[in-house]
Amino acid sequence: MQSKWDIGEPEKRTINSETEQLKSDLLTLNMGPQHPATHGVLRLEIWTDSEIVAHVIPHLGYLHRCMEKHAENLDFRGVIPFVDRLDYLAAMNMEWTYVAAVEKMLGTEVPRRAELIRILVAELQRIASHLMAFGTYAIDLGAFTPFLYAFDEREKILRLFEEVSGARLLYNYIWIGGVWNDWTDEQLERVGQFCDVMEEEAKKYNELVSMNKIFIERTANVGVASVEDCLAYGATGPILRGAGMKWDLRKNMPYGLYSEFEFDVPVGSSEVAGQAGDCWNRYMVRMKEVVESIKIIRQVLQKMEPGPVMGKVPKIIKLPKGEVYVRHECPRGELGIHLVSEGTDSKTPYRLKVKSPCFTHVSMLPHIAPGQMIADLVATVGSIDIVLGEVDR
Amino acid sequence: MLNVDFNKLAELINQNVSGANATVNSTEDAKTDSSISVEASKIFPVVEFLKTNKEMPFNALQAVSGVDYMEWMEVCYIMAHFDLTTPRELILKVKVTDRVSPAVDSVVSLYPAANFQERECYDMFGIKFNNHPDLRRILCPDDWEGFPLRKDYVAQKVYNGMEVFPDNKMNFDDREFIVRQEMIKKAQTQAAN
Repeated sequence: MQSKWDIGEPEKRTINSETEQLKSDLLTLNMGPQHPATHGVLRLEIWTDSEIVAHVIPHLGYLHRCMEKHAENLDFRGVIPFVDRLDYLAAMNMEWTYVAAVEKMLGTEVPRRAELIRILVAELQRIASHLMAFGTYAIDLGAFTPFLYAFDEREKILRLFEEVSGARLLYNYIWIGGVWNDWTDEQLERVGQFCDVMEEEAKKYNELVSMNKIFIERTANVGVASVEDCLAYGATGPILRGAGMKWDLRKNMPYGLYSEFEFDVPVGSSEVAGQAGDCWNRYMVRMKEVVESIKIIRQVLQKMEPGPVMGKVPKIIKLPKGEVYVRHECPRGELGIHLVSEGTDSKTPYRLKVKSPCFTHVSMLPHIAPGQMIADLVATVGSIDIVLGEVDR
Repeated sequence: MLNVDFNKLAELINQNVSGANATVNSTEDAKTDSSISVEASKIFPVVEFLKTNKEMPFNALQAVSGVDYMEWMEVCYIMAHFDLTTPRELILKVKVTDRVSPAVDSVVSLYPAANFQERECYDMFGIKFNNHPDLRRILCPDDWEGFPLRKDYVAQKVYNGMEVFPDNKMNFDDREFIVRQEMIKKAQTQAAN
């Protein structure tokens, strides 16, 4: 495994005999930082042998905004908008993880209705995020239409979020102790209607893209990462589940009220197409998770009961001396927040470390990419679904 | 932290790695997490033991994070066990007292996940990781000066001919700015003592 990082000698690759006879030098090619397939400002330095990728070296930091340094100078409530901007496509999940870390140290009781609303917005956000992944992945592979279908449905979720929080993408909605605003019955009813529509749409997407012969040819058996690779590189979320491990924090280490809910954890397999751990299975895990999220949302709507949405929180938050590590299942993987506090006279976090799922997934690219064609690298990068705001923080 | 008997684990580490000197930083209430501290020079054998032992294995390294306490720096290895029946979590800490050229051994050969994490820790705190295959800055540019997450860090004035914080664009009354200036002053006086 060490040799992966030694960029002196190219990997042993399977090249057909004709190509093998042609001696060629490695050509350095820069993919990004302005490249549509890298979903932001990621630069991949690719060493290619004709069409085949010999090495990939990710260069990060183009979107580095010193979020962790900023957090050390802000009070605990003031950090929430900054956490939003980590993964701007799944801001609700980001907020919830940070807020959960503060609440654990504070020992706050969150009202039941607020907990239910949190699960509701987190799952809606998961659907929105997976729809974005679905749409942009199809664009990466050359199909433009699915993007428009996906954005049509995503728009409905963003409208609901806009009504309830006042913002379309960066919400500052989940607050320490509860949530900022309550949902009206009419809005909850519309969530139910959205679930009905989304369920039908998900079937349509599967017919349109997932089971499409061209799509399967492009993605099956491409960029395979085994469970061992995933654990060694710390990959989580759809990558780990796509490789075949039935691991989901909502099931295995339940937080919030998730232990009351019934849902399946989809995993990748070689039953329908490809093999466990390839791009198609990673993609398919996301599509199945959309259906599972709909199941959870329907249960939330059934369980919803009237009550307060904010718990009792002191006006100025001061945390006890110590540290916590909290991790939540976000659409892209496990987000971990390591929060250190220095005693009761401090109003700011002493240290806030964000363990970003995308950061670890990018570190996996030099391992899974060598040996592929350049076009397959685009499929691989798309299938791990990175958001650069979270990679660079 | 889940499913970890800290006292037993510390005992196991001390039995199997000589000189590790594992101690438990326990907390009384459930609000904060406990952790285990070991000697900085023994971090590689300790992590190797945690990975390979049969009783309480940890099969994944989640993050390597640093904390600057001004008199010393801490490197926190956040480890986890991905297992369907008994998932585990652990914060393992080492203390680095040298601020001028801090160094600990790299664990990349045990967990490839440590590669980027240790590079980030080096970038932000200037802690060198011995035997790391590719120790470069990762988020800041390669020719950036100083280590941003240290408490006494002052941003450089000029980078590649560009002024970084021009006075006419700074809001000196900003609360965040004042808090940071106070923090830097405090850290510098502590370092001088």
